[in-house]
Amino acid sequence: MSVIAPKFKLSEFIKSILDDAFWTILILNLIGIPAVMMILFFIEMPVIHGELLTPFLALSWIADPTRTLPIIQSFMETDIFRVMAFPGFGFAALLAAGTIFVERKMLAKLQLRVGPFYCGKLEGILQLMGDGLKLISKEIIIPAKADKPIFWAAPVIFVGAAAAFVALIPVAPGWVVADVDLGLLAVFAVIGFFPIITILSAWSANSKFPFIGGIRALFQMVSFEIPLILSLLGVVILTGTLNLSEIAASQSNFPWIVFLPVGAIVFFITMLAELERIPFDLPEAESEIVAGWLTELSGMMYGLVQLGTYLKLYAFAALFVVLFLGGWNGPSIVPPFPAEIITDGITMGPVTLKVPGLPIFSQEMLNGTLWFVLKTVGVIFFIILPRGVFPRVRVDILLNLGWTKLIGLAFVNIFIALGLLYAGVLGPGGLQ
Amino acid sequence: MADPVFLALTVITIGSAIAALELRSLIYGSIALMGALGGIAGFFFLLDAPFVALFQLAVYVGSIAVLILFTVMLVKRELIFKKIEDKRRKFAGIGLMLVVMVSLGAVFLDSGIKTITTDEPQVNFRDIGIDFVTYYWPALILMGLILAGSVTGALVLAKREDVENDQRTS
Repeated sequence: MSVIAPKFKLSEFIKSILDDAFWTILILNLIGIPAVMMILFFIEMPVIHGELLTPFLALSWIADPTRTLPIIQSFMETDIFRVMAFPGFGFAALLAAGTIFVERKMLAKLQLRVGPFYCGKLEGILQLMGDGLKLISKEIIIPAKADKPIFWAAPVIFVGAAAAFVALIPVAPGWVVADVDLGLLAVFAVIGFFPIITILSAWSANSKFPFIGGIRALFQMVSFEIPLILSLLGVVILTGTLNLSEIAASQSNFPWIVFLPVGAIVFFITMLAELERIPFDLPEAESEIVAGWLTELSGMMYGLVQLGTYLKLYAFAALFVVLFLGGWNGPSIVPPFPAEIITDGITMGPVTLKVPGLPIFSQEMLNGTLWFVLKTVGVIFFIILPRGVFPRVRVDILLNLGWTKLIGLAFVNIFIALGLLYAGVLGPGGLQ
Repeated sequence: MADPVFLALTVITIGSAIAALELRSLIYGSIALMGALGGIAGFFFLLDAPFVALFQLAVYVGSIAVLILFTVMLVKRELIFKKIEDKRRKFAGIGLMLVVMVSLGAVFLDSGIKTITTDEPQVNFRDIGIDFVTYYWPALILMGLILAGSVTGALVLAKREDVENDQRTS
């Protein structure tokens, strides 16, 4: 029987751990903390309790709990929090990661399989973490005759474009990374980048399967962009604005899907095609062309493309929610924050704890986020549902569908919107 | 002192335009062309015209550049291009370009473009729309007819069935 470490000695093991701890503390004290202080001198610091938070006071929240919440609150108002954490990348990546797991498990249940089962005690719940660790630790293999700069850059740019798309989505009133006046046009501009990245990545691999997949992706994405853009014009006509926050706010009484169901259906189908989901997954048809344009990507490069794909999926589902399902609007179901905690503090026996800086989130924001997430998760469910049910369509049927039927239906949708507008039912001067 | 953003955009646009012409690799040339078109979009952003800038991105970078890439990838370039390396012609071309650019610049600077005030209120895209349906309506209808014609033509082309290929008859 072989042993992993035949010359193991407990005393040397403890010594090595103590050694590591010593050097970590030493390096942290000599380099880490001075570096943090130097960085803090260049950052604009907030005012806490009527006093500017200087870098000398910056770490005082560790010792003084009454400062913790105000510092967190002021941090949440910064742009970097919005980009990295809440309405931006972190929130979207969390939802995207959840989508990957739910998709695998749900498809398995639909097709009477078990799906991920052994990783983690309960129903394979740690499968995603295992997959991520595997992808990170895997070797990245680049084909010998690949065009290396483009091949390396493509997955990164793909994630970047998906993150730019996510940044335009308003999650709750006022909670959006980039509140652009022409938000919908910016969405169209960002969507236009995906075919370029796909075809460049496919070409640079210098291999047949990725190239066929890339050409298919280009065909599909470029031809479905037209009905996608046309199907959204109905909403723009009725709201009279291109700002996504205003479009979401205009649906406080009823969502636009009530009046524009044709546009919603066309947008949903084009969305499936843009996302390369079954039944339109010709670019990565795994039974014909290995994995399509992803064939030569390995290790974390594949992981990045996968992350970008699911970020894009979240962003499209969120765009559907914002445009057709009312965005954050919904009945108020989150209870208000108890007022006596703000005024009197928390009383536990003889101890009274006064916590300044509560509540962290307003009731409106929590309610909006809850409804937004619920609707988005519902739309994501309907996006991944066809994968368990439908076969893949042929490429000529796909192009025929896009160029003849969907464009016609999108024009029908525009005429419905114009009819409602000129009849005075809706739009500026109507019910709104 | 010129705006650093403006200078950076100028360098990107002109540099990638030159690269688009001079690079031997057609793919890198078309990527450089995308850079040049994106730089022009950046100029529109600087000029407070985000509407035009976003359309520049969506149409030129998103569609035209894709078409160029597509053509470059599918065409065997050995059949149409013959490599002619001629140093003198290259330098003569660069010199001609410089002469043209300098003379055009001199004309522009001489034409009184410096005296134009730039504190006009920003033109809203709603105003553009209102102008289109009132004063410029013939142009709008002409554009609409042309676009409708091209869309119909595209639909007819997509509907056309190759009768000879009996595997595809649906």
